[in-house]
Amino acid sequence: MGTPGRGRLNGLTRRDFLRRTGAVAGALGVVTPLLAACGSTAVSGSSKPRYGGTLTMSQPAAALTMDPQKQGDVTDMNILINMFDCLTTRDAHNRLQPQLATSWESTNSTTWRFHLRKGVKFHNGEPFNANVVKYSIERLRNPQTQSPIVEFIHVTGVNVIDEYTADIVSDQPNPILPAQSALFDGVMVPPQYIQQVGDAAFAKNPVGTGPFKFDSWRPGVQVAMKGNHQYWAGRPYLENLVIKPVPDAATSVASLESGQLDIVQGLSSAEAAQAQGSSGVRIRNVPGIRVYFVLLDTISPGPLHDRRVRQALNYAVDVPAIIKGVLRGEASQVATLIPHQAFGLDNSLKPYEHNLSKAKQLLSAAGYADGFTTQLSSASTNSDVAQAIAGQLSHIGVKVTTRVYDAQTFGALAKDNHGSALGPMYLQGNSGWTLDGESYLQSLIRSDRRSSRYNNPTADHLIDVEEGSVTSSDRTKAFTQLQQLLKDDAPFIYLYQQNLVLPMSSKVHWQPNALGMQSMVGAYMA
Amino acid sequence: MGRFLLTRVLQAILVLFCVATVVFFLDRVTGNPVAVLLPPNATVAQEHHLETQLGLNQPLIVQYRIFMTGLLHLNLGQSIYYQQPALSIILQRFPATVELACGALVFALIVSIPLGTLAAVKRGSAQDRILMSIVLLGQCAPTFWLGIVLILVFAIVVPIFPASGIGGPTNLILPSITLGAYSMAVIARLLRSSLLEVLGEDYIRTARAKGRSSFGVITFHAMRNALLPVTTVVGLEVGSLLGGAILTETVFAWPGLGQLTVQAIKDRDFPLVQAIVLFFATTFVVVNLFVDGLYALIDPRVRRQ
Repeated sequence: MGTPGRGRLNGLTRRDFLRRTGAVAGALGVVTPLLAACGSTAVSGSSKPRYGGTLTMSQPAAALTMDPQKQGDVTDMNILINMFDCLTTRDAHNRLQPQLATSWESTNSTTWRFHLRKGVKFHNGEPFNANVVKYSIERLRNPQTQSPIVEFIHVTGVNVIDEYTADIVSDQPNPILPAQSALFDGVMVPPQYIQQVGDAAFAKNPVGTGPFKFDSWRPGVQVAMKGNHQYWAGRPYLENLVIKPVPDAATSVASLESGQLDIVQGLSSAEAAQAQGSSGVRIRNVPGIRVYFVLLDTISPGPLHDRRVRQALNYAVDVPAIIKGVLRGEASQVATLIPHQAFGLDNSLKPYEHNLSKAKQLLSAAGYADGFTTQLSSASTNSDVAQAIAGQLSHIGVKVTTRVYDAQTFGALAKDNHGSALGPMYLQGNSGWTLDGESYLQSLIRSDRRSSRYNNPTADHLIDVEEGSVTSSDRTKAFTQLQQLLKDDAPFIYLYQQNLVLPMSSKVHWQPNALGMQSMVGAYMA
Repeated sequence: MGRFLLTRVLQAILVLFCVATVVFFLDRVTGNPVAVLLPPNATVAQEHHLETQLGLNQPLIVQYRIFMTGLLHLNLGQSIYYQQPALSIILQRFPATVELACGALVFALIVSIPLGTLAAVKRGSAQDRILMSIVLLGQCAPTFWLGIVLILVFAIVVPIFPASGIGGPTNLILPSITLGAYSMAVIARLLRSSLLEVLGEDYIRTARAKGRSSFGVITFHAMRNALLPVTTVVGLEVGSLLGGAILTETVFAWPGLGQLTVQAIKDRDFPLVQAIVLFFATTFVVVNLFVDGLYALIDPRVRRQ
């Protein structure tokens, strides 16, 4: 479990010293996040990478399985991403990069050809090749596996062209398959090992190609991994990686401060703020990929059916004020539903400005000079933002009652019958793991999609273009037109994309990427 | 004694049978359990498949028979998320909760017995009042708050103990105090009033008249009788310690059954939650059966009932 004794002893002396010179502690609290935001990893004195050391990280929940094709949540993904590789990956700057595939091209509209890396071995010595790709993807798509991973739902099979070339075939065009392969759709699992020990044993004793090897799993306590010295991309710096569940936010911050933990994952910005100013701890603020917005029911009769009303709502909400006041500055405004890092974003499109008079003008033009009454639902995790929005809308005469649900219930209701149980407006977050605009729009815009409360044939057509074409330029054009249309028609109230807030020990040197999937391959301890 | 135990065991079995029946009907009272078991976007075909697998398309009485037979074979269902039998997951986590409950009970007894005794003996004095105020604090302090305060003081400000997690003996101290504080208060107060009642009895005066020292009177004569109601309460407390560890386990990231319960509820892992309910009920009944037997052993009057 690291060296808790040494950490505490040092911590006591430094803590005492810093408490007496309080100004220094305050300055540290301000300066280190700024440095982190600039992308620098060199904060403490000696920042040269060194081999060895143990890094202990916490998450709010415990791991459920070690089988990457059977897991369905971030908790398991954060652990397994260190033991398994996928065909492609996202680097620290969120760019799509080769991983087990070195290059790829689309040979026709429904086939992607992947050229595979040579000389890669699984932790048990098994070789990686095109047969492994075929086995892995077929296992994923096999109904018996009951995999909750669904992005490859249109993949029909894999053709082995030669030992290091594989074709992934779908039943319809899929321009973002390479991006989807960076997720666990593209995870590579060992055929010989699984056939030898069976699914159940594989789920308890995993073998992958990743930078860390499985060491032990005590359910509810921790998953321990060891550095893979034979890793194809080079040995990782860390010798030991331990990931444990700590459900209570205050306890995880306390454990970080006492040296038991090195990184705390999964905290909201308010919870992470508790660690501010502690000696030996810094809070990393990284732009995330989760975009928040309010879904409006544009179809049912009522005020929201009128585009002018929807535009008025967008003018009335002061997003920068919400970011500053409620989110502690840990977010950035977005013009529509696509975040800054995603393919397809039109950078030239500006978000709605905050303009109360224009909002009131539009409302009167629509016949609601005296405003109207409506309801805004949200999950308990975002209830503060919902309240802020309700407050801002009251300035133009729109009286909003807020309803709060626990996260699980909210999620279930949102998926049922286009979220009708949640009322005319609800606050929702959306993450597109593929970092492609398509994933952000896929369930929300086209009139026949699961969460859509919008009906616009032009939008439907543009969605078809960007989902159906494998040509970048065609897709970009469609996205640009779509975003302009979405802004003008305003079927949503557009808000922000949230930062990831990660308190960590100053001994840790690591660049988290925006996906928030905590791959520790480049991390080292000072 | 034998007849007494037999009666108690039969009663326990009846209680467990009733609990299982209630659990069975609670599942079905709110509608189709399959709706709870599957994710919201499940297809109708998937629903029918699971219904058939779980035998939900059969008559209620047949389902009941299958359910009860399953319990007799220790089949408490399969966890959706872990994809393992619920009972094996529970048994994995149970030792940690037992460890915590034992630690809490030990703490509670170590503090409450001297405290309660001293308060009774010095009844009415300033000492009595101070001690009972401390006890009251233990009863009023919310578990959650107490745990976090102890972490703050004894893991950060004065770093003696670890802030969280299971491990060596030092890891057990703060969670034991947190969980045991309420039980400590209950037992101390009960012991005090029980002891006061006993100390007023005739046989105590006789013992004193015979020249027994105060200490001897208290420990030998008075305690044996004063501890009787305390034993019953300890039995109840063990039940609530096992179940109430939920908050303590969450605060201290203690990998026990309480934490599993919270995660299972959050995940809507219905079969696992149901299995945990049955497991806790059984544990509670067994523990109290044991306490009843212990009571009968100590107090001959009970055996004659």
